[in-house]
Amino acid sequence: MRKSLLLAVLVILGSFAFAQVKIGVNLELSGRFAAIGNQTLNGIKVAHMQMPKVIGQEVQLVICDDETTREGSIACAQRFVNEGVVGVLGAISSSMSIPAAEVLQDAGIIMISTSSTNPQTTQIGDYIFRMAYTDDFQGKLAAAYVVKDLGAKRVAIFRQIDDDYSYGLAGFFDATAKKLGAKTLVQDYVANTVDFTAQLNNIRGFKPDAIYYSGFCAEGAPFMKQLREQGFTQQVVGADASDDPQCPEGAGAAFNNWIFTGFATPNLIPDPEAKKRAEAFKAKYFASIKNAKPGDFNGFVLAGADSYNVLVAAIKKAGATDVKAVRDALANMEHYPGVSGDITYKGTDGTPKDRTIGFYQYKVKSANDWKKIELFGKSTAEVQ
Amino acid sequence: MAASKITSRSTIISLLIGAVFVVLLGARINSLENYTFARVVQDFLNALTLGSLYALIALGYTMVYGIIRLINFAHGEIFMLGSYFAFYAMTLTPLPWAISLLVTIILGGTVLLVLRSLFNLEEPKRTFVLSLVIFGGTFFLLTFRKLGWVEGLTLSMLATGVAGVLLEAIAYKPLRGAPRESMLITAIAASFFLQNFGQLVFGARVRGFNAQTILNKPLNFHIGPETVYFTGILVVVPLITALLLWVLNLFVSRTRLGKAMRATAQDAEVAQMMGVNVNQVIALTFFIGSILAAAAGVMYAIRFGQIHPLMGLMPGIKAFTAAVIGGIGSLPGAVLGGLLLGFIEIYVVSLFPTLSAYKDVFAFVLLILILLFRPSGLVGEDLTEKV
Repeated sequence: MRKSLLLAVLVILGSFAFAQVKIGVNLELSGRFAAIGNQTLNGIKVAHMQMPKVIGQEVQLVICDDETTREGSIACAQRFVNEGVVGVLGAISSSMSIPAAEVLQDAGIIMISTSSTNPQTTQIGDYIFRMAYTDDFQGKLAAAYVVKDLGAKRVAIFRQIDDDYSYGLAGFFDATAKKLGAKTLVQDYVANTVDFTAQLNNIRGFKPDAIYYSGFCAEGAPFMKQLREQGFTQQVVGADASDDPQCPEGAGAAFNNWIFTGFATPNLIPDPEAKKRAEAFKAKYFASIKNAKPGDFNGFVLAGADSYNVLVAAIKKAGATDVKAVRDALANMEHYPGVSGDITYKGTDGTPKDRTIGFYQYKVKSANDWKKIELFGKSTAEVQ
Repeated sequence: MAASKITSRSTIISLLIGAVFVVLLGARINSLENYTFARVVQDFLNALTLGSLYALIALGYTMVYGIIRLINFAHGEIFMLGSYFAFYAMTLTPLPWAISLLVTIILGGTVLLVLRSLFNLEEPKRTFVLSLVIFGGTFFLLTFRKLGWVEGLTLSMLATGVAGVLLEAIAYKPLRGAPRESMLITAIAASFFLQNFGQLVFGARVRGFNAQTILNKPLNFHIGPETVYFTGILVVVPLITALLLWVLNLFVSRTRLGKAMRATAQDAEVAQMMGVNVNQVIALTFFIGSILAAAAGVMYAIRFGQIHPLMGLMPGIKAFTAAVIGGIGSLPGAVLGGLLLGFIEIYVVSLFPTLSAYKDVFAFVLLILILLFRPSGLVGEDLTEKV
């Protein structure tokens, strides 16, 4: 009796002394998307360093690795429900974000996916937000670029059929490309495919002018190697999943000239104020992350940082860690000055209003000697 | 009487299924547009390469199963280790002489110890010559120049063979008398351990394996107006698989150690009573099986251009399936199963493009069908015990 009383006093005292705001971080830190997951985590960590406190309390990041599996992501979400976090940042991919979002929506916990682009993610409920644009926009832009700018009349599309992101994006691309008058041929593969020779043989008769690949680097590297070996010289266009050093590092010179859409880097952000903030953040990033390679800084880092920033801003505005109040503050957020651009959630389903997509191209000499050049940026406001 | 009736009925059924299958396939090929002869040849070459790779991994599976009736689930991870060893041998060389000396002593010493215990090299003169060759050779290879794929492959095969023997000594040997399920679970645990160990030591990121070798050289040829694209590796992989199968068959059927292996496979206890050193035979099996896995790992890495710590998982499962289809325990069966799997994977995608995501389903449906009609695999001996 006395012991438990003592314990209770200690717990109460402890909670006063170490009042903490807990924020969950659910990311792909190992497994197939490990590279992007760790970039995002670094972004969140640097943002945390810049703003370690909110409403007078320390912010504690509870980091959970979902190992790039759906089960892992659900387990992380359930852990956060038990730990009583205010909100969860991540996951990066749609396939891991959607199952976690279902758990967190049911439990009434805020989730901000850093880079899930499948439109479905934020439609799961009112507690689910994202930092990215959606794939209908990304697919539309990419298709317009391939058909109009590259002048392709016949486009072969490769999609990973067991991934929500890749499958959805390929669909939007296909629809827009057809609308613009191009002929398309879709080829499917599954996660961890390494042999693409049969699919490549299938598109040989179709004689494509360009190839669109909506998948990830784990499969993209062997894909590109075989594509070039099999005598295809066409331009290949990918999406934000190829904004990952594993692509050029995995395939080496075969990846040269690959064009892809992705989160805008500081140079491509049109708003000069936002650009300045992004540049400042970039400097801070390289000052705080040890051994950071230049190729490791990209839009995923900015998205990670901003997911932390908006959640902390919402807590500050709500003035409490009451989840409902924080959610309302987040849902009514207007023109938050984020490092990835201006962020407005008011009147949307949880997708920020004005996002910028960058077009990039890889210039690869070898696996260790490559760079990413920035072509141009397009913002959602400008297109719609 | 009743038995033969059943057999003749199942033969008729399988013949009927086969006939329907062939007719459907023919109709399908006819109905496809643009499926020219050049594309048929291209698909055939691709399937042959993929199938040979599976066969090479399946050989190791089947050998271990044949001797100690253990499905070594860690075989896929041994395969991964093989590709990483070759990767480091080919990218880090030439090493500074001090480091190279250290590596030589560690690697050469272990190799020497393992080789001595495997092949009964007790004679001092022989040991001396062998150690000179191994230490001198390793040091020479590591110190002076960048290794090519042949030297990388050789070094990796040796190192992986040793890793396989160590795995056996640490994980399986203490369980020799235990129920078979314990060994099976240990094998799964070893597989998980090596995957995570790989992520820790080699890093979780994908690495490019882009050594420009003669194997990547394009050797395209023309059929009419169309080109068939293929590279050196499409020739080398089936050749290496055929060669290794031949050498293994010779080894198992003609040599003393091979005889000891067969005796152990039949009955380990009786073999031991007859003076066969069973521990040595089992270690040797793991050594050879791991060498085959390393060869497959290096070929796989050169073919697909990337390696990562989890790369052994899918090929491991596929090769296991191949070994079961062919009849686990049988060497030619493993090669047959591997080739069959490779051909199915390629031809499902090219004949039924809309079903290409389900190519694995076809492979596993085939597995079920074969197990229904021939429970011991295509060329497997009839075994009453199965894991």
